[in-house]
Amino acid sequence: MHTINKPTKYRISLKEPGIPGVLRMAEERFIFTPHDPRSLLKLDVPFRSIKVHKFSKDGSKQALLNLLHEGGGYIFEFDSFSDRNICRDFVGKILGKLQATCPSKDDKAVPDKTTPAPGEQLSPMEMEHRIKLLRDDSELQRLHKQFVMTGILTESEFWATRKNLLDDTTIKVSKQRTGFKSTMLADIRPATDGRTNKVTFSLTPEIIHQIFAEKPAVHRAFLDLVPKKMSEKDFWTKYCRAEYLHRTNNSVAAAAEAAEDEELAVFLKHDDILADEIRHKIRRVDPTLDMEADQADDYIHLQDHGLLRDGGKETVDAESELSRRTLSQDLNRHAAVVLEGRAFDVELGDTRTVAEALARSKKGPSLEAFDKNESQERLEKACRMTEIEDLRGPHQLPYAPLFIKDPREYFDSQQANALRALGDSNAGFKNTDYNFNLEESYAYLMKQISEAKVSGLNDIVQSDVAHKENLTTSLV
Amino acid sequence: MKFHIEEVAVYFPYDHIYPEQYEYMVELKRALDARGHCLLEMPTGTGKTIALLSLITSYALAHPSSPLKLVYCTRTVHEMEKTLAELRVLYSYLPPSSSLLALGLSSRKNLCINPDVLSASSRDSIDSSCRRLTASWVRALAADRPSGAIPTCPFFESYDKASRDAILLPSGVYTLEDLRAFGRDRKWCPYFLARNMIQYANIVVYSYQYLLDPKVANIISKEMQRECVVVFDEAHNIDNVCIEALSVSIRRQTLDGATRNLNRIAQVIDKFKATDAGRLREEYNRLVEGLAQRGNLPMTDTWLANPALPDDILKEAVPGNIRRAEHFLAVLRRLVQYLKGRLQVESVETEVPVAFVASINAQAGIDQKMLKFCYDRLYSLMLTLEITETDEFLHIQTVCDFATLVGTYTRGFSIIIEPFDERMPHIPDPILQLSCHDASLAIKPVFDRFQSVIITSGTLSPIDLYPRLLNFNPVISRSFTMSLTRDCICPMVLTRGSDQLPVSTKFDMRSDPGVVRNYGRLLLEMVAAVPDGIVCFFVSYSYMDGIVNSWNEMGILQDIMQHKLVFIETQDVVETTLALDNYRRACDCGRGAVFFSIARGKVAEGIDFDKHYGRLVIMFGVPFQYTLSRILIARLEYLRDTFQIKEGDFLTFDALRQAAQCVGRVIRSKADYGMMIFADKRYYPVCTIFLTKFCIVLPISNILMKNVPTIISTHQSMSKDIINFDPSMGCLLSFML
Repeated sequence: MHTINKPTKYRISLKEPGIPGVLRMAEERFIFTPHDPRSLLKLDVPFRSIKVHKFSKDGSKQALLNLLHEGGGYIFEFDSFSDRNICRDFVGKILGKLQATCPSKDDKAVPDKTTPAPGEQLSPMEMEHRIKLLRDDSELQRLHKQFVMTGILTESEFWATRKNLLDDTTIKVSKQRTGFKSTMLADIRPATDGRTNKVTFSLTPEIIHQIFAEKPAVHRAFLDLVPKKMSEKDFWTKYCRAEYLHRTNNSVAAAAEAAEDEELAVFLKHDDILADEIRHKIRRVDPTLDMEADQADDYIHLQDHGLLRDGGKETVDAESELSRRTLSQDLNRHAAVVLEGRAFDVELGDTRTVAEALARSKKGPSLEAFDKNESQERLEKACRMTEIEDLRGPHQLPYAPLFIKDPREYFDSQQANALRALGDSNAGFKNTDYNFNLEESYAYLMKQISEAKVSGLNDIVQSDVAHKENLTTSLV
Repeated sequence: MKFHIEEVAVYFPYDHIYPEQYEYMVELKRALDARGHCLLEMPTGTGKTIALLSLITSYALAHPSSPLKLVYCTRTVHEMEKTLAELRVLYSYLPPSSSLLALGLSSRKNLCINPDVLSASSRDSIDSSCRRLTASWVRALAADRPSGAIPTCPFFESYDKASRDAILLPSGVYTLEDLRAFGRDRKWCPYFLARNMIQYANIVVYSYQYLLDPKVANIISKEMQRECVVVFDEAHNIDNVCIEALSVSIRRQTLDGATRNLNRIAQVIDKFKATDAGRLREEYNRLVEGLAQRGNLPMTDTWLANPALPDDILKEAVPGNIRRAEHFLAVLRRLVQYLKGRLQVESVETEVPVAFVASINAQAGIDQKMLKFCYDRLYSLMLTLEITETDEFLHIQTVCDFATLVGTYTRGFSIIIEPFDERMPHIPDPILQLSCHDASLAIKPVFDRFQSVIITSGTLSPIDLYPRLLNFNPVISRSFTMSLTRDCICPMVLTRGSDQLPVSTKFDMRSDPGVVRNYGRLLLEMVAAVPDGIVCFFVSYSYMDGIVNSWNEMGILQDIMQHKLVFIETQDVVETTLALDNYRRACDCGRGAVFFSIARGKVAEGIDFDKHYGRLVIMFGVPFQYTLSRILIARLEYLRDTFQIKEGDFLTFDALRQAAQCVGRVIRSKADYGMMIFADKRYYPVCTIFLTKFCIVLPISNILMKNVPTIISTHQSMSKDIINFDPSMGCLLSFML
């Protein structure tokens, strides 16, 4: 590979003016030599220490290239973008190559006996996977640091005992969607600065996503209006205005605004998509709590029979076109959406893509009439619910496996919390002991033996393997 | 397991039985032997329903010579579903030779499978669109015309063809869903099928109204034989249901509608006079001879029976001055006019029926006897005029219903006219209410007609009050207590918040921000400590709305949501149902949730929060009735005069039975466990006595006065005990057979 020389300015930080000099890039390292020979800022850095490179956009004020290492970065300012781009591409190539070959170099350095293929090349994908595993599991990371970084184990030796973690299947199984947060993000509160009459609402992609999920009418309006009729900013301004009107409980002002501006009215009106959805859902609820079925279930419904005002019942307010959305409705809706969870995985960045993805996921089979399967399931559940459990033997319920990202950390913190709470109430932590009496343990033993007889001794581990496994586990 | 109680072999679908279930069955059997009524109280969480069903079914199987029918009344449709689910468990355990037909009956709304009818949204329109397709005159017309000219219901037609050959349902247990599925399968109408099958079924499960409301009972339950065991489950509110059945309200809309109805009737009479005068004369002659003959309407045409009780309808001729159709019409016009005048009041008026009848007589010239016959006379007229769209004539029916009741009963009722709702004095909405105070009137025919009536609930104390309120003599009246081998219930009374200020929902304290904050802090602490589901009961909708809004402003609600999802009961039943469904799912999936509910609301009435659906229930305040209600005041006066029950005592009794009902929702079996917090200073010390004496009948030997931190630590120690509990040991009485 060739080397390149380019005139550039080295800037210690963005605020300081650069020191003019020449940047020389070779395959292994780059060298910066200032024009001023007295300057002490001479750089000679191997590319291996560089992690990432960053650069300013073409056409921005300065043509910058930033080479990041552990502690910071080297910022170079070029005279022209074309110069910068040549350097950028060069650095990109070298870094890509380095990252791909880095572990294999280690492999070569310490010849591995267990894997005979000496030139094992790790694809960047595999590498990424390993890094992800390390990042997710603090315990594993600690071990990695302890053994690999200090050179006790090589990278491949370290992973050899954890082959199962590297299996692709495990990645898929353990993939668990993160749900919504329980907090009501869509209930945005305005901030006032106290001096002027200005009110500020702040929206994040997360909040917008929740608004779309909880208020289908807003979602539809967004898809219809943005960007054909108005910009996204206008849309949200309008939305916040409607929210503000709703919050101030000024129904007269709200009605007046809604009459003038039909787009604003969408936000204040009753959500018709929601009403539709409710009508579908009510047919599927568990019959043992279906109170709707119960309404007016007398023989023929007479409106004026019975007592109307005996104080027990409460009168219902008349409904208006701009029906008041109550807090309780919002809470119920929010909780329902949280329970449904995210239907798709989209990076929460662009509002438009989020809105479209949500629309796609809704079009799916979710609104299909519920099939026999579901009613069967419900029937079984109802049966289970009616049984008095302690008068009958235990059931094996199906369950969804919970994926805890970092079990050790999770349980340790739980225990710490519990201990702290117990410490407050001045009580000790008592272990539950499982005492089997003689009969029970005998029965258990007999069961084990008979099981072994039936299934044979297939899964008994050979002694030498067991020895190894033992070793590795004790190492871990 | 199968065991014997005296000579009866009892099939019980579980391997074990609680001792109190066994005792309960023994008492029940004695009542059945004695062919008398009985009153049994057993706390929730002891499996009342299955014990009851198991014994009565086994008793019927043991005595095949005298077929015993079980009529099981529930308050709500979802309770009906639960009962049928338990019956199914029992049915699968019975010996295969025994044939048993059990079914639930509900309105068209819940049973119809015709997609055209179902597309109508409200229940009233489902009823009337069904009638439009199935009424006898429509079908007669459709038979005359070429097919397809007049739409009919294909499900009803094919059912009608099939129903001519006797019994249609094979034996088994049919929930509403099963009936619908069966109907879809055979292309038969499930509603009319169920209506028809109840006379052949061994067990019928339906709503209280079908037996207690005389208007409905005489149609639906007419054919039930005397050898019936009638069970009223969850009957602690039965007095209220009875009272509702005999009460009528008249508003301005009713009277306007009645005037329209009368004009329509007048037109039809004129038409008949021109074309078929003989028919009217014929009716007149019939009326001279005696009371209107109740013609047998086809099942599809609806006309409610007389609102007063059959015994009260005298076997005498209709008074002369309303025999002619046009005379009767004039009487009704005067009555409506008079009622319109009465509605124009400035202040509240309360009257007894005697005074009211006297005033009608003086001002409108209608005497008591004419009033009494209004309902039947109207029915006869409608029949003569061949008006069968009865649902359009509901307004005039209501007015006649009112007239008949006011003309029949002289005591136990009062008439209350209010110009507006007291809680919204700025909206004029005059209403005239005929309010019944005597619960025994409506239930009397049930006691007279059927061999055994069983009234049972988790909360019937004081048990001697019910025979007086309902005016009957039970052969057995017993209250069982729950045997517990461990503290699976932990009731507590909270009188002060964490800042040592007293908490209460007393009228002068409830809006105090300190109380609101203390309640919020209590909930917040509990939400952080208790796993799975938590249920909170508030005293009223308006109070709950207020407090939830304040919590929202204070930020407490947001803190609560950090720990659990929040669901709220609203006035909208559909929304509440969905919220409940979601609440259960939240508890099932382990996320945990809080449900806010109303002490006298629909949720408190019949939804169970057992197992992980309710590990803690908090009762915020004492759920007293709205004591300024005129109807309540009138009723209290009646109770004082007739039964010497003091107003204060009754109110406390009523509030505590509601509170007990609410907290009792969390426990359904002994493997279950839960905490209960009564958060009001008034629960201590006076009410603790009530609570221990007759409220939950749970072992509240250790009602503890607590503040928040101690409650938390109690919770922790309790859950530790519970986790170490082994359900197969100790608490069960096992029969080795």
